Amino acid sequence: MPPIIEISGLRKTYSRAFRQPHNALDGLDLEVAAGQVHGFLGPNGSGKTTTLRALLGLIRVDGGTMRIFGEEVPHRLPDVVGRIGAVVESPQFFKHFSGRLTLQLLAESAGVSNTRVEEVLEQVGLRDAAKASVKGYSLGMRQRLAVAQALLKQPQLLILDEPANGLDPAGIHHMRELLQWLAHAQGVTVVVSSHLLSEVQQLCDSMTIVSRGRRIVDGKVADIIAGHGDSSLTVRFPDAASLPEAADALAAAAGSLGEARPVTAAVDRDRLVVRGAPEPAWVTKTLADAGIYLSELRTETKNLESVFLELTGTAPVPGHTVQIGESAVVPQTAPAPVAAGDVTINVESEGAER
Amino acid sequence: MNLFKAELRRLARRRLSLVFGIIAAAGLLVLAGVFWFTSSKGPTETELAEAQAEADRINGENFEYEDCVDDEDYFETEEYSWIDGEPYYEDMTHEELCADMFGMMTADDLIWTYTFVFADESPLILIGVTIVAGLIMMMLGSSAIGAEWSSGGMANLLLWHPNRLKVWGAKLGAASAVCAAAVIAVLLLAFGLLYVTAAARGEIGDLNSAWWDENLPKFARAGLLSIAMTVLGASLAMLGRHTAISGGIIAGYLIVGDMLVRFAGMAMQMPFSERLSLYTWVSAWIDGRIELQDWSDFNSEYPDIMVITSTEAGLLLGGIVLAFAALATWAFHRRDVS
Repeated sequence: MPPIIEISGLRKTYSRAFRQPHNALDGLDLEVAAGQVHGFLGPNGSGKTTTLRALLGLIRVDGGTMRIFGEEVPHRLPDVVGRIGAVVESPQFFKHFSGRLTLQLLAESAGVSNTRVEEVLEQVGLRDAAKASVKGYSLGMRQRLAVAQALLKQPQLLILDEPANGLDPAGIHHMRELLQWLAHAQGVTVVVSSHLLSEVQQLCDSMTIVSRGRRIVDGKVADIIAGHGDSSLTVRFPDAASLPEAADALAAAAGSLGEARPVTAAVDRDRLVVRGAPEPAWVTKTLADAGIYLSELRTETKNLESVFLELTGTAPVPGHTVQIGESAVVPQTAPAPVAAGDVTINVESEGAER
Repeated sequence: MNLFKAELRRLARRRLSLVFGIIAAAGLLVLAGVFWFTSSKGPTETELAEAQAEADRINGENFEYEDCVDDEDYFETEEYSWIDGEPYYEDMTHEELCADMFGMMTADDLIWTYTFVFADESPLILIGVTIVAGLIMMMLGSSAIGAEWSSGGMANLLLWHPNRLKVWGAKLGAASAVCAAAVIAVLLLAFGLLYVTAAARGEIGDLNSAWWDENLPKFARAGLLSIAMTVLGASLAMLGRHTAISGGIIAGYLIVGDMLVRFAGMAMQMPFSERLSLYTWVSAWIDGRIELQDWSDFNSEYPDIMVITSTEAGLLLGGIVLAFAALATWAFHRRDVS
C-alpha cells in the first residue's frame, strides 16, 4: 500500500532583515504508512510544525514535493482535504462562541451534519461543556475542542500537533485510547507531533525524528529504540575499590570473544558500565572467576527519551543549557525508502554543534 | 454556498454585531425622539394669547415707540430724511415705520416653534443615517476579518477550506450581504420613525413622484457607498491582519490625511484643490454632481467651474475600493498563515 503521506526534499527558508536567512526545512523527507499512529518528533525549532503547516497548505515552501493520498499538495489539497482532520499548534478559537457553535459553523461550512457535532463532542468528553463559551475553557478543554474539530469530518488522515498539550492524566489516557482505536479499529492514519516522548512511545507504531529541518531517523518505534545503541549492564560491588580490577578482568575476558562482539567496561563513579556483553551471566561468571563478587547487576534498557536526546544531540550537559537550534546536523543525503521493520538513520555525527 | 451561509451565521452570531445592532436601533430612536420633542404643528391659541400679552406689555414700556406713534411728523426731520428714498419703507404706514425703527415686539418674536417637515428634511437625515450605518458595517466587516486572524480562526478555517480565494470570497460576500441588509433595515426603520414623528408632531409635506425621483437614487448611492466602505474595511483588515489597522488607516486618512492633502493642494496653488479631498468625491457621488469654483483668475468676473458627476465619482471611489480589495486578495493568496 502506498504511503498516505510522502514528503521529499521539502525546503522552507525564512528571510530575515539584516540577518542570515533561516532554513526551517532543509530537504526534509517523510513517509507515513496507512493505518498507523506515526510520531513526528524533533527538538524545538526543528521544523515539525512548519512541515505540518506546509503539508496543510498554510505556508508556501521553497522546494520539494508533498503528496497526501497520492495527490500532490498543496495544488490538489482541496480534493483531499475532506479526508483530512488536523490541528496545528496551540488551538485557537473565537472566544465568545460556545464550543458547540464553533463546531457547528465549521460543520455547516463543509456540509457536515449537526448530529456529527454532537457525536464528536461526546467522543472528546465536551458534551456537558458544549454550551459554555470558549473563553471559559481551560487549555485542556480547548485541546479537546481542537481534536473534536479535527474528527468532525470523519477523516481518514488525522494530523495532530501536540494533542496531549494541557490535558490532565485522564485526558491523556483517553486521547491515547481514542487515537489508537481510530488507527487500529477504524483504519485512520494518525500523525502526531509531540514532545511527550513517553506518550509517543506508548502511542505510536512508527515515527520520524527530525533535526534542523531534516530527517534523522524513521521506522517502527520499537525498532528504532532497539536498533539504536545497545543496552548496557550496570554492575556495583560491595567495595568500590574493586571497580578497576573488575574492569580489567572483563576486558581480558572480552579478548577471547573476538572482535565480532566488542565488549567495553567503563568505571562511572561507583559503578561499572558494561556494553556489548553477550549476556548478564557472562559478566557474573567472568567476575566470579576473577574472584570478584558483585552486589548488584542491572540491565539498562534504552528508552525513547535517551534515543531522542542522543540522536538529536540535545542531551543535557552539566553547566550548559541547550539552546534552540543546537541540535544534531543531518547530512544532506537521500535516505533509503522505509520498509516495515527497517530503520533509516541519517545522523552523520551525533551531538550538537557547539 | 455552505461556506457563505456559515460566514453569514458567523457574522450574525458575533457579539459585536449584536452590540452594533442595539447601538444603531437606539441611535435611531434617539434621533426620532429629538424631532418628536422639538417639533410641533404650531403654537396653540393659549400660547399665542400669552405671547401677544407679553409683547403688548414690552411694547407698553417702549416709550420711544409710543412717542413715535403719537407724533405723525416724527420722521419729518433732517435725521430721517434718508427714509424717503428707500423702497423698503415706501408702502409702510406710520405705525409700521415706528414698529420697524423702534423694535415693536409681536407674538411671533416671543414664541419659538419648529415644525419638522418630513419631505424637506428627511432626505439629508436618511442619507446621513445610511452613511453612519455604512461606517458601523465597515467596522463590523474589518472586525470580522481582523478577529479571525487574531483569534487563529483563519488558520482553522483554512484547514477545512484550503482554497483561499473561495474563503475570501465567502467572507467578503457575507460581509457585503450583511451590510446591504443592515443598511436597508436601518434606512427603512429611520424612514418609518421619522415619518411617524412628522405625522404626529410635524408635517409630512409633499412626497410626490418628483420627491422620489430626486431622492431614491441618492439613497441607493448612499447604500452602495456603505457596501463599498464595508469591502474597504474588510480588505484593509485582511492586508493588516488586524481590526485596528483597518480602523486606524481609515480614521487617520479621513481626519488627518485628507486635510494634509488639501493643504498641499492649496500650498501648490492647485486649481480646484477641493478635488483632492475624498469628501468632495463622496458628496459628488451622493448628490449626483458637485460644482467646484476656482477664483484664482482675478481678472475674471466669474470663476472657472469644474463639475464632478456621480459617474466620475463612482469610478474613482469604486477604483480605490477595488484596488484595495485586489491587493488584499493577492496578499491573502500569497502570504503564509502562521
